[in-house]
Parts: sequence; structure tokens; C-alpha cells
Amino acid sequence: MNLLRRTVVAALFLAVPVVLAAQDAGVDGRLQTRGLPASLAHRVAVVAAAAAARGVPDGPLADKAIEGWAKQVPPDRIVVAVQRFADQMVRARDAVLTAGIATPQGPVIAAAAEAMRSGMRAEQVRRVVQAAGAGVIAAPGLSVAAALSAQGLGSDQATRIVVGAMQSHRSMQELLDMPSVARVWHDQGMSPGDIEHRMLDGGWNGGGNQGSGRTGDWGDRPPTVAPGTHDHDGHSHYR
Amino acid sequence: MQSSDGTIVRRVLAGDAEQYRLLVERYRAEFGRYAVASVGDLDAAQDAMQEAFIRAFDALATCRDPDRFGAWFFRILTNQCRNVLARRRDTVPLEEVDPPGGDRADEGLERGELGAALGAALARLTPEQREAFVMKHVDGRSYEEMAELLGVGVDALKMRVHRARDALRSLMGALR
Amino acid sequence: MKEWDGFSADAHRYLDGEPFEELSGAELAAADRLTAEVRDYAARLAPLDPSLDVEVMAAVLRRAPARRPGVLAWLLAPRTVRFRPVWVPVLAAAAALVLLVAPRGKRPAGPEVAAAPARTADTVFVRFELEAPQARTVSVAGSFNGWRVGALTMVRDARGMWSATAPLPLGEHRYEFVIDGTRWVPDPTAHAEVDDGFGGRNSVIVVGPKGLVRS
Repeated sequence: MNLLRRTVVAALFLAVPVVLAAQDAGVDGRLQTRGLPASLAHRVAVVAAAAAARGVPDGPLADKAIEGWAKQVPPDRIVVAVQRFADQMVRARDAVLTAGIATPQGPVIAAAAEAMRSGMRAEQVRRVVQAAGAGVIAAPGLSVAAALSAQGLGSDQATRIVVGAMQSHRSMQELLDMPSVARVWHDQGMSPGDIEHRMLDGGWNGGGNQGSGRTGDWGDRPPTVAPGTHDHDGHSHYR
Repeated sequence: MQSSDGTIVRRVLAGDAEQYRLLVERYRAEFGRYAVASVGDLDAAQDAMQEAFIRAFDALATCRDPDRFGAWFFRILTNQCRNVLARRRDTVPLEEVDPPGGDRADEGLERGELGAALGAALARLTPEQREAFVMKHVDGRSYEEMAELLGVGVDALKMRVHRARDALRSLMGALR
Repeated sequence: MKEWDGFSADAHRYLDGEPFEELSGAELAAADRLTAEVRDYAARLAPLDPSLDVEVMAAVLRRAPARRPGVLAWLLAPRTVRFRPVWVPVLAAAAALVLLVAPRGKRPAGPEVAAAPARTADTVFVRFELEAPQARTVSVAGSFNGWRVGALTMVRDARGMWSATAPLPLGEHRYEFVIDGTRWVPDPTAHAEVDDGFGGRNSVIVVGPKGLVRS
């Protein structure tokens, strides 16, 4: 087999490097290791290889197949779902291209696809990616915009907030905190307009804009409890 | 796009040793937790993993299936972990573990103590039971994955995990 | 006389996430206790230091001085390439040809490779909760644990509230609760819910450094 493969590679040398054979082995092998039957793993690997040829990452497709298998979805439906996801990622990649990114990277494409799946429009994806420049903040920015738009803010508003935050050079950490913060404010009865206003002022972060001097004032929140510790009632975390 | 294991191994064998770093990063991430949990000590696990990577590099040409470097490396790592644990067992006392059949009321134990007791109890399992237990309970792997990594059947692995649980319950007494 | 202190067969099935017949309160408590202790033990495990990589590579490079691979090796070693539009139609044809002749029926390539994280230190403890008094087991399966049903089991309190806490990397995660090993339900307290592509739904959370907030 090794000799056959080398012969094929040498023959194709004039055409192109044979990276897809390796990727095929990668997705196929990974799926079989997770317990997917060989026939299903092969079918998904073929879809993944074709998707890779169109410039979209194969990792999320393998993950989707693993998810389907874990959920005991029939193999035919898994293949259909993986193909559909691949098509969504191609469309997402097109949206990212319109933002002027010459070679969209895997994580951004995957994040854009998920954002569009949850209702963001191509135009909104374009605006977020554009605001992120060529930085690594594009993918988390898209995730945050998608999550914000599910917190009682519309997708237009969520996009504005994320774009505004990026343009004021908020850090990735601050961006990632936004959905939780929006949720708290929403549950406390704040209107979407006020939420947007406060988010863009950055008043929750203990520093905000230069010189604003506001302390962290986003209300009570129960600390996330680490295992093996006691919560504030003094009760053990586990029974 | 990530390179597959086979790709990287072939490059290293073709002379590009620097590529080995990719495998080191990948499998430190993938198996690090397993090493620390089964050895029970960070420094010792670090030694075991380092030694395993170096031996794997030295023996790389004997890896029959480069696309399955991970499983092949895992066997080497397991051996190193066993060696390191055997050396430590000779020097680390185990008084804090309940003798089998001992009687301790649950209320008297702080959780921190229980965590330490588990570590000491794990060291007293057979190597196969300990490794299977860690892969199942700490790494959260399915039996199928474990079978793939160890080259052992699912039924045999279930038996090892079940026996490990029984032994831990006995050793730790407080679970009664 | 030494008592056999093992778990019952049903307790083992419960711990394996498989269906079981009958489990006494005491057995269930003991099984949950074991799980809780493992979780406590595991939570104290420090990650291996990335300096390990440096030590290993120092030893490796002493053994094999870096040299450029020969031209023949370069030709024959498959490698990744960044996709440029001009390659696409050629790649597709090449892929089809290679897939036709590539070896079939080979045993799988390596174990699942976790994508090497850029930073290992950026994780935050996240608490999951679900009220499910009728459930016998509940676990959390999602993108952060490879959708493994047994990887993050939850513990139940007297009122039927299940909970679990796990360290998650910063960023977006998709998951569902798995009840009794087979019933997948989303989390009503998550940030969002999306179609999972299989006719179901996934919960989505975005984890920031402050953790998740529940009001």
C-alpha cells in the first residue's frame, strides 16, 4: 500500500500536492476511533474532503458526525447533516470573503456558519468580521453577536454592540463576558436600548473608558462555585 | 488545517526532527491528564511523559502504523507511568489509606481528605485496573475509545473498570 | 471475615451510563460518592507544564541535528497546503483520483486528536444545573467533552435538582443534558438555543473570564 500510494503521489506531482489523502485518513481515523462504523466514517470523510477542497475546515464536520453518533442519529441522517453543515460553511465563507479577508481561516468560517445558523444575516457577519480586521477576535466576536441576539436584543442591535466594542478596542475577554452580562441586565428588567447603551459604555468592567472611573456595578452575581469548595451558605458543594 | 499524525511522523523520519514538536504538543494535551491522574504526582508524571516522548522519538522508525502514532505512543507512556509509580511506591508511605474493612463515619471526612485518599488508593490497584479506571472516570473515554488505544476488547476493559471500582470502594471504606 | 465490598452489577451499569434495573438508595449514594470523589481528585490535577515540550525537543534535537529533508522525501511526504482559489478545481480532481486508489479497509488512523490549545490556562469553572426529579442519571455532553455521554455526570440533591461543575475554556460551547443515558434535552438557562442539524436543539453558552452568570 505504501508503494502504491507513493506511486500515485509521484504521478500527481505535476498536478498538486496530495494533502487530501492525508486529511481523508485524518477524519476517517478520528471518527473510527470514536466508535463510528467504518462505512459511516468513510462517507463523512468524503464529504469532508470535498468541503476542504472548497476551502472550509473539516474539523467541525468531524465534530458534527461525532455529535450525531453520540445522539444515536441514524447514519444516513448524520451524513445529510454533515453535508448540510458543509454547505452552510461554504456560504459562511462567502460572507467572510465579502469582508475583504483573502483567505478565511477555519475558526472564523465555523463561527460564521454557527452564527448564520442561529439567524445572523450575511451582511451582519460581514460587518463583524470587517470590524475585527484580520485579528483572531473575529470568531469570538461572531459567537458573542449570535448569543447576544438571543438575549432579548435583535440581531441588528447585537451586531452594533459587537462592532462598537471592537472599534473601541475592547479585549476578547470583555467581549466574551457580554452575553452573561446582557442576560443579567435583561432579567433585571433593563430595556434593550439601555443594555446597548451600557454595554458600549463598558460600565460593567470596573474600568470602562479611560477616565470614566466607574467601578464594577453590574449587580449581585453568585460566584461560580469550584468543586471541592463550600458555597457561601457554608454547605458542602457535594452531598 | 491540522496535519495528521502520519504526516508528521513521515516528515520526522525523512529528517525534519523539528516537526516532532507538533506531536509533543498534541499528545501532552491529549494524555497529560491521564499521566498525572494515574501517577498521582505532577513532577513524576512530567518525568514519565518526557521520558516517553524521548523513547518514542528514538524508536520512531519502529512505529508500524504512523497514522496511529497516538495509540503507539500511549503504550510507551503507560509503561513509563508504571515504572515511575513503582519507583515512587517504594518511597511514599500509604498510611492515610483506610485498611480494608476499616470503619470510618462519613461525617468525619473533609472532601479534601477524600481526594487524597483516592489518589493513594489508586496507587494500590493493579496497573491495568488503575489505567482503565483513569481512562474511564477521569478522561471520560468510552469503552470503544479505550479499546482502540489499548488494543484490548471492550468486555475485558469493563471488567477492569468494575474491579477497580470495587477495590476502591473496599480500600476507601467510607463509601460503605 | 473480609466482606466483599464491591458495587452491584446495576451500580456498575449506572456508573457506565447504561440502563439498569434496580438500585438501592445506599448503592446509588455510594456510586455518586465515588463519582464525586473522582471529580474532586481530578479537579486538583494540575496540567503538565508546557516547558516539557522544550525539554523534550532539546533532547530530540541533540539526537537528530536539523537538516533540510532531501528533495525525494519532500516529494513523497504528504503535506498541508493553504487553499488558494486557483488550486481548487485541480485539488478536487486529484482528491477524487486518490480516494479511488487509496487503501480501503485499513484499521483507523490514530486516536482522537484534541486540537492543541493555543493557551492551556484560560479555563473557567462553569456550573450546570437541571431540575429533573424523575431522572435516574443526568450528564452534560457537548463540544467541550467530545459529546461523550459519560464524561460529566451530575449529582442530585434531595429536591431533584441536578448539578455539575467543570472547567471550560473561554469561548462558545454547545451542549445538552443527557437524561438516563438516552434522552437529550437543552438547558433552559443557556445563552441561546440552536438547531443541531439532526432535528433537535443544542444549548449554546459563551464563557467569559467572569464565568457564567445566573440571576
